Amino acid sequence: MRKALLIAELSLREAVRKRLVVVLLLLTAAFVGFYLYGVWRLEGTLAQRAIDAGLESRSSTGAANIPIMYAALFGMYLVFFLGSLMAVLSTVGAVSADVENGVMQSVLARPIRRAELVAGRWLGFTLVNVGYVALVSAALLGGIAALTGYVPPDALPAVGLILLAVALLTALTVLGSTLFTTLANGIGVFVLYGAGFAGGILTAIGSFSDSPTLLTLGRVASVLMPTNSLWLGATYHLQPEVLRQLGAASRGANPLFSTDPIAPGMVLWAALYAALAIGLAMWRFSRRDL
Amino acid sequence: MSATIETRELRKVYRGRAVVDGLSLTVGEGEVFGFLGPNGAGKSTTVKMLLGLVRPSGGEVRVLGGSPDDPGVRAQLGFLPEQFRFQTWMTGEEFLTFHGRLAGLAAAEVRTRVPEVLARVGLAGRGREALGGYSKGMLQRAGLAAAILARPRLVFLDEPTSALDPIGRVEVREIIEALRGEGVAVFLNSHLLAEVEQVCDRVAFVKAGRVLRQGTLRELTGGVVPVEVVVDTLSAELRAALARLAEVRHIDENVPGRAALELWVGREDILPALADAIHEHGARLYTLNPRRPDLETMFLDLMDHPASAPEVARA
Ligand SMILES: Nc1ncnc2c1ncn2[C@@H]1O[C@H](COP(=O)(O)OP(=O)(O)OP(=O)(O)O)[C@@H](O)[C@H]1O
Ligand SMILES: [Mg+2]
Repeated sequence: MRKALLIAELSLREAVRKRLVVVLLLLTAAFVGFYLYGVWRLEGTLAQRAIDAGLESRSSTGAANIPIMYAALFGMYLVFFLGSLMAVLSTVGAVSADVENGVMQSVLARPIRRAELVAGRWLGFTLVNVGYVALVSAALLGGIAALTGYVPPDALPAVGLILLAVALLTALTVLGSTLFTTLANGIGVFVLYGAGFAGGILTAIGSFSDSPTLLTLGRVASVLMPTNSLWLGATYHLQPEVLRQLGAASRGANPLFSTDPIAPGMVLWAALYAALAIGLAMWRFSRRDL
Repeated sequence: MSATIETRELRKVYRGRAVVDGLSLTVGEGEVFGFLGPNGAGKSTTVKMLLGLVRPSGGEVRVLGGSPDDPGVRAQLGFLPEQFRFQTWMTGEEFLTFHGRLAGLAAAEVRTRVPEVLARVGLAGRGREALGGYSKGMLQRAGLAAAILARPRLVFLDEPTSALDPIGRVEVREIIEALRGEGVAVFLNSHLLAEVEQVCDRVAFVKAGRVLRQGTLRELTGGVVPVEVVVDTLSAELRAALARLAEVRHIDENVPGRAALELWVGREDILPALADAIHEHGARLYTLNPRRPDLETMFLDLMDHPASAPEVARA
């Protein structure tokens, strides 16, 4: 286990030294700054309109504040999407890249079990990816709160679900990295991610068109890849009552947001799925030739 | 004899093709062992099986009395891979520190040991530079430093001088000799036969994944002395007379007025008899040069290289 921590530490140092962390922080600062500037201008416009209409103040949970609520919601969608993208891209060669360039041979000739190596890589990359998404979420929601005073109703559970999705994606990418080449792995995980998204769309269409077949397909896709369900679960927590009523009125025609909370079983399954992926990765990698 | 390495009928099959095919080897305690064979003979694959990097398709491996799958066994091994690629973002010192910690050395020991091995491989003062900026030979030296870092009992060196300058080759030889002095066994893959001759106690020849011969240099050469002979003409009678005294390995009559022969004699005291026979048949002797038996001759012979095939029946 100490060896796994050593590998995790190595992975963190690698992320810092290969400028991954710097590039991420700079680009993210640019993205968050740009987005928050837009929110700030929006807030100015809304406040001006309220004054023009002769209103004293605007309730942050009232219908007049819906544009800000959507800005926060879509902002978090971008965080989720960019976080997923970055989790896959940063982790795609976690094991395979070192196998492909031969670095792994001298590492595994040392007294370290292969399972420990996989666990260490997983831990290191999970810390980077989850830490990154937590930081961006805090920056975005904190920025919106500071500029407009609006805080989504249950921000913490929402961010928790998003972080679970990122952890799951990282685990699946590590698994792929022990099975396939770096390139094949990257493509494979994105296809899976797409399958989860397709599942969300099928479910949305299935529910407003009352098609049991589509609903079943959607359910299969979300079990196969629960990231999208986790996101939808997060959106439930991010929407104040006004938005949920609006969403319910459109009978779920919007596949990006959900008006229902996520089933606890799905959360458990996502966590179990990540653990299974890492277990499988340890087992498979221990049986592989270098 | 307590064996450092013992394999029995070791096999590795890649896509239905056996690249190591029933390999049985024994390497003794503290022995410097040369593992020789043509490209693709399965040498590196064997080393990787001995380190637990590749799983054998069959047969048995024992390294230091245990299995290489046991981390406790690997803690006592050192390895310089054939493709020496390391984390380019690390400095030389960080790389060795990382490997020292992986090998389970105490922090204090890592601190003293890292500068020691850097100096040992001629990289003193370069440890603060990133490996990405190292030359190929410097990288191989860093890999060698990592291989001897944790005071192993057995070191695998897969072509350790392939990227080194002449000074580096001498230094590697000295390192191997120093290891032998400390009782460390060395398993050496190399194509530089002159080097192997100088450092190895025993060698094995492999071809297509099988051991053709193994033993000490003396055992393998079996006392045969190769002799180079040049005469002005080679009559059929002279040829027959020489063939009675020695094994005629090769005849070259391309130069007009000269015939060059490669003979193998069983004992040194046959040499004067060769000169006598040449005189008796009226030929003039230009060269009679006995050579030390060498691995190269044996290698070419064992691998059926055309240059070494006997050509007695050419006429
Ligand atoms: N991962 C692999 N997949 C398929 N074939 C392999 C693999 N590794 C090695 N081989 C094959 O096994 C054979 C032996 O390879 P190996 O690297 O052991 O040779 P070698 O004796 O070290 O040769 P060289 O002197 O060139 O280093 C080669 O024919 C090679 O093509
Ligand atoms: Mg080789």
